[in-house]
Amino acid sequence: MKPPFYRRYLLIVLVFAILGLATIVQKVRINHTSFAQDLIAKSESYRGQRKTIYPPRGTIYDRKGNILATNQIAYEVGIELGDVIDPESIAFAASSLLDGVDYLQVFGQASTEKKPEESRYFVISSFVSKDKIEELERLKTNYAERRKAEKSLKPSLSGLVWTPMYQRTYPEGTLAGNVLGFYTYFTRENAQGAYGVEGAYNRLLTGKPRTFFLPNDPYLVEALPDIDPGASLVLTIDREIQKMLEDTLQEALDWSGGEGGTIIVADPKTGEVLGMASTPFFNPNEYWTYHEIFPGITPFNRAVGTAYEPGSVFKVITMAAALDSGKADLNTTYNDTSGVYWVSTTWPIYNWNYGAWGLQDMTGCMRHSLNVCLVYIAIDLLGEELFYDYLQAFGFGRNTGIDLANEASFPLRLPDSNEWASMDLATNSFGQGIAITPIQMVSAISALANDGRMMAPHVVRSVIDKGQQYNVSPQLINSPVSAQTARDVTEMLAISLEEESSNALVDGYRVAGKTGTGEIPTELGYTSSLTNASFVGWGPADDPQFLVYIWIEKPTISQWGSEVASPVFKDVVEQLVVLMRIPPDDLRWQLASD
Amino acid sequence: MKNRILQAYQQAPWRTQIQWVGLFLLGLVLIASITGVYLNISAQAATSGRRIQFLEYEIDVINNEIAELTSLLAKEKSVEVMKSKAEAMGYVPLNPYDAVYLEISGYNPLANVVLAPPRVNTVSETPTILSSYKTSLWQWLVQNIWQSPSDEIQAEGELLP
Repeated sequence: MKPPFYRRYLLIVLVFAILGLATIVQKVRINHTSFAQDLIAKSESYRGQRKTIYPPRGTIYDRKGNILATNQIAYEVGIELGDVIDPESIAFAASSLLDGVDYLQVFGQASTEKKPEESRYFVISSFVSKDKIEELERLKTNYAERRKAEKSLKPSLSGLVWTPMYQRTYPEGTLAGNVLGFYTYFTRENAQGAYGVEGAYNRLLTGKPRTFFLPNDPYLVEALPDIDPGASLVLTIDREIQKMLEDTLQEALDWSGGEGGTIIVADPKTGEVLGMASTPFFNPNEYWTYHEIFPGITPFNRAVGTAYEPGSVFKVITMAAALDSGKADLNTTYNDTSGVYWVSTTWPIYNWNYGAWGLQDMTGCMRHSLNVCLVYIAIDLLGEELFYDYLQAFGFGRNTGIDLANEASFPLRLPDSNEWASMDLATNSFGQGIAITPIQMVSAISALANDGRMMAPHVVRSVIDKGQQYNVSPQLINSPVSAQTARDVTEMLAISLEEESSNALVDGYRVAGKTGTGEIPTELGYTSSLTNASFVGWGPADDPQFLVYIWIEKPTISQWGSEVASPVFKDVVEQLVVLMRIPPDDLRWQLASD
Repeated sequence: MKNRILQAYQQAPWRTQIQWVGLFLLGLVLIASITGVYLNISAQAATSGRRIQFLEYEIDVINNEIAELTSLLAKEKSVEVMKSKAEAMGYVPLNPYDAVYLEISGYNPLANVVLAPPRVNTVSETPTILSSYKTSLWQWLVQNIWQSPSDEIQAEGELLP
């Protein structure tokens, strides 16, 4: 027998069962509609946000700890549409206080129709200075006071927001700009280091960005782990020396009428570059002016990025090869009877003044910078195989590996190449027909100023990463000549300067050096009257602590390196010895003997 | 006989009702207690979460201030500014021939500058929030009531560096 009200119970059960089933079906259907994924994504966005934190880029210091590149705080100004009350005031404030901001554009953005289910944000301006933000803050406060006084909703900057962001800054301005390179911070996440140290060490300076999920739910919030900033670098550059070099170079160019130039100062014992000036000077704070400052093929840093025919400074290499190989010694003589050397009886090589200098020992050949003598050494004493072996041992024809981006090198034309001719051996011996970068010459000559040991040129002295400082050890590249040869060449070049009463001589300090006047090839040959004036010198001669390389491009006051580059060397060394605390020789010897 | 025994031990109806009411109230108190504990822990967790968010913000603000001051100091100490300050104070560049040299033993003008912070015992990256703030009520009860104290010490010890 069925209980009373059985049918009613059954009906109620059925209704609830159908309702339950319908609910389940509806839930399944909702999860498979086209809106489902959107809804799920939206719910995810309510849970929190995924944020990538970019660590601050590493700082760059000079060798004494002065900051050359760091990060300052700038601001991004934007509109949070949901909070906007008064688009006119926002547009007025932004366009009147921020550079390059258009009233109508901002007004249009601030007046965009609001949708309650979606928050919208417009960027108005990036990398706004703190001063501008303070002005905006003052205006916001003024508006708030006016609203309070007038008991109205307007004027209001509600919805105009600013958030801090890192901006790369170079507090020294143009100082060492050609060494530092620059960081394209305006491109935000895609920013890259370019040229110089910024380019060469971009990955190290950048650090590793990390992505986190930041929940809105306070129960799920956790402290963010510390993010290591990018590694910092301590350079070998001394900013006082750098400043002195840049000032001296500019004065030299103004005085000589040169088109451009470079001066490098290095420590030959370690390969550390103490200063490297190159024109045109560049302010990395305004890196977007790059194309104006370096039009066409103008190199960013001609010390490492431009190969040129150096002229007679290269004779130092030829002489070192001759002495080291034993093919010549200090007493070897050359009798310059005609002032001309006939290569393969076809091509004449003349001295710089077309004169004949008579009987000369090796020091005399260097002192008078006799092309015919050096050609004789290369062709008759060394021979092509030995000569080019030495050139390669000195590192010519390949990069020095200096830790600056965009280093250039010009391939060495060797006898086994189809492009090589016997004339090359002759011209190469005195620095023509061969292209080298100033840093290659510094690297090679460092062997002669450092007892035959050629050190790798470098600009980074230490790396500071994760709270630890790692010092870079000087690296020996090669020993192309013996210590005795290095000392002999140094002595020979010191005597040469002294006997020549060179413009490069510095009172109280014995220095060794060689001038260079390189002819500039044109499409028609060496037809230009313009030259490259160079000088390489090091000192003190008995214990070299600095090596200076100077290149003045196309001077108009004189075409000779002895008249253009030598005085610049003197200027540099006179200031350098003070900055490096190197006492005059007699005092140094006296202190050493005490 | 059976009826007599039942009658002898049977509760008075009012007593049975009171027992049921008492049992219900006990259940209610238990639920209220659990809810109270849960709310208390939840409130603490939420407060801690908000505090963490605020402290993270403060860290950002301080880091920004440090960056701002560092760059400002660097500009104030730049070569050009220092040079103009020195000139304003009457200093002139030293002529090498006027320089007076003193020997200071051990002084090396080219010595490496040390810029890294001094070494300290670093703490490895570990969660900084106590696990009790992140566990559910059920997990908390399991840990604090049913697990032995030694287990708990071991669990807390995981936080130690």
